[in-house]
Amino acid sequence: MASKSQARTPHPARTKLTRRQLAAVLSAPALLAQTPAPPLPQNADEELKAVRDQNRANAAQLDKFPLPMSVEPAVHFKA
Amino acid sequence: MASSIPDDIFFAGITEINQKLKAKEFSAVELTRAFSERLERLGPRYNALALSLRDQAHRAAKDVDDDMKRERYRGPLQGIPFGAKDLLAVAKLPTTWGARPYATQVFDYTAHALKKLDKTGGILIGKLAMVELAGGPSYRYASASMTGPGLNPWDPTRWSGGSSSGSAIAVAAGLTTFALGSETSGSILTPSAFCGITGLRPTYGLVSRQGAMALSWTLDKIGPLCHSAEDCGLVLEHIAGGDSEDPGSAGKSFYYAPAYARDLKEIRIGFATVDFDEWADPAARPDFAKALDTIREMGVQVTDAKLPEFPYGAVISTIISSEGSAVFEPLITSGKVEQLADAKQIAGLRAGLEIPAKDYLKAMRIRSLIQSAFRDMLAEIDILLAPARYGPAPMITQPLDRPLSDRPLPSTPGLSALIPAANLAGLPALSLPCGFADRMPIGIQLVGRPFSENTLLTVGKHFQERTDWHKRRPPMGES
Repeated sequence: MASKSQARTPHPARTKLTRRQLAAVLSAPALLAQTPAPPLPQNADEELKAVRDQNRANAAQLDKFPLPMSVEPAVHFKA
Repeated sequence: MASSIPDDIFFAGITEINQKLKAKEFSAVELTRAFSERLERLGPRYNALALSLRDQAHRAAKDVDDDMKRERYRGPLQGIPFGAKDLLAVAKLPTTWGARPYATQVFDYTAHALKKLDKTGGILIGKLAMVELAGGPSYRYASASMTGPGLNPWDPTRWSGGSSSGSAIAVAAGLTTFALGSETSGSILTPSAFCGITGLRPTYGLVSRQGAMALSWTLDKIGPLCHSAEDCGLVLEHIAGGDSEDPGSAGKSFYYAPAYARDLKEIRIGFATVDFDEWADPAARPDFAKALDTIREMGVQVTDAKLPEFPYGAVISTIISSEGSAVFEPLITSGKVEQLADAKQIAGLRAGLEIPAKDYLKAMRIRSLIQSAFRDMLAEIDILLAPARYGPAPMITQPLDRPLSDRPLPSTPGLSALIPAANLAGLPALSLPCGFADRMPIGIQLVGRPFSENTLLTVGKHFQERTDWHKRRPPMGES
């Protein structure tokens, strides 16, 4: 578990990112936005596939973001 | 219909109306009757009304008149007619969440924020339409609501914005003096900007969500939509406060204290030029530039700012989809989700159940870093300033998940991700009308550190003392 002081360490992941890693993470949405929008889904199956594809793209972006092991999720459990 | 209430009152601020009630220029019953009649007559025209509460409002107004006769004054909201987004429960009356599967839903309790307003003598005259399930994970069309698309009072061929669509329409069209809405990511700021009103998204946890529909437990906030920053302060003071029944409650109160406001010269405001020069719709740039000039003329310290670099869109989308689909799992697995109006929302709720725990937790871990980075940034800057939306409201039929123009992307991101970023960090924001583009309202947003609402409201109040955009009225034919 991260101590309070660790949790408050200013932006620890940022210092560990190389310029190349950062560019890869940040260029993804920009590239997506510059790509012509796909045609609108025409039926429920296409809608579901489109959303699943988007969720996978989101997951891929999250995966590219390097996270130190000490970083805990932004939730609090109170005993 | 003949009324003893002058037309100006429908667009007047809280303090002015309350003073006129105290001066007995009209009674609370007369005021409530006039507003209720107007809400029932014009609300449906803009798809803004979910449920009129005329009878119970009349009873409450009689109580206010009795109190005022005995000089029992309960504060500035006493006798003020207001509306509430239909995600807030009112005991024994339908609360539909804007969604057909919940059309007959009735709770036996009233939302905490509404109970607080009742104690101050505020008069709830109607429940207001909304995007179904407050937008769920996402939606494609303005028509994603049981009551149809929110139509903008400035031009009914345009969208009102959502998901607090009815709340923004009601205030803009003078159907209620203020309204409560909610924001998970943009649902107060967007309709406020599109409808030309002032909206406040409070710090996460400042206003209890007890009795409100949950979409995302870690992102949902309840806040006011009003004519002015001052009104937002008055309403926030009376709905904020700790509540043991809301696990997200910060246990803090809020006192609107303009008399003790910080000196403007001490306030540091950060903005990105690219937001105003490149990201903004060309038609909106002249008035955005004037707004920036007005802010500068107020004497605040202005500096360049850029957002910490994070994949904000992927983080917030993963969190809302995961939490929203968990909230609505019974709706999804029962198949009743198919009764929703928007095909993309149906698919989003279904697919949200498939998001792996590792993705949700990764998003929440990155969110910790986002909070930390904003904490650092807001140690140097008091307020971030950006357009609330880069252009005016889109047409009703326009797909909302497609680019609104084919302009090339600007050279740098500026503060373009400020809405998801600041929501992820739980930060308060104030949307202020600042002009027009294509004869439609546009607005700026101010974002501050947690619980700095008084600072945002101070800047907003000074901005509105120098401008009159918040006093403009839509050109409604009222036959």
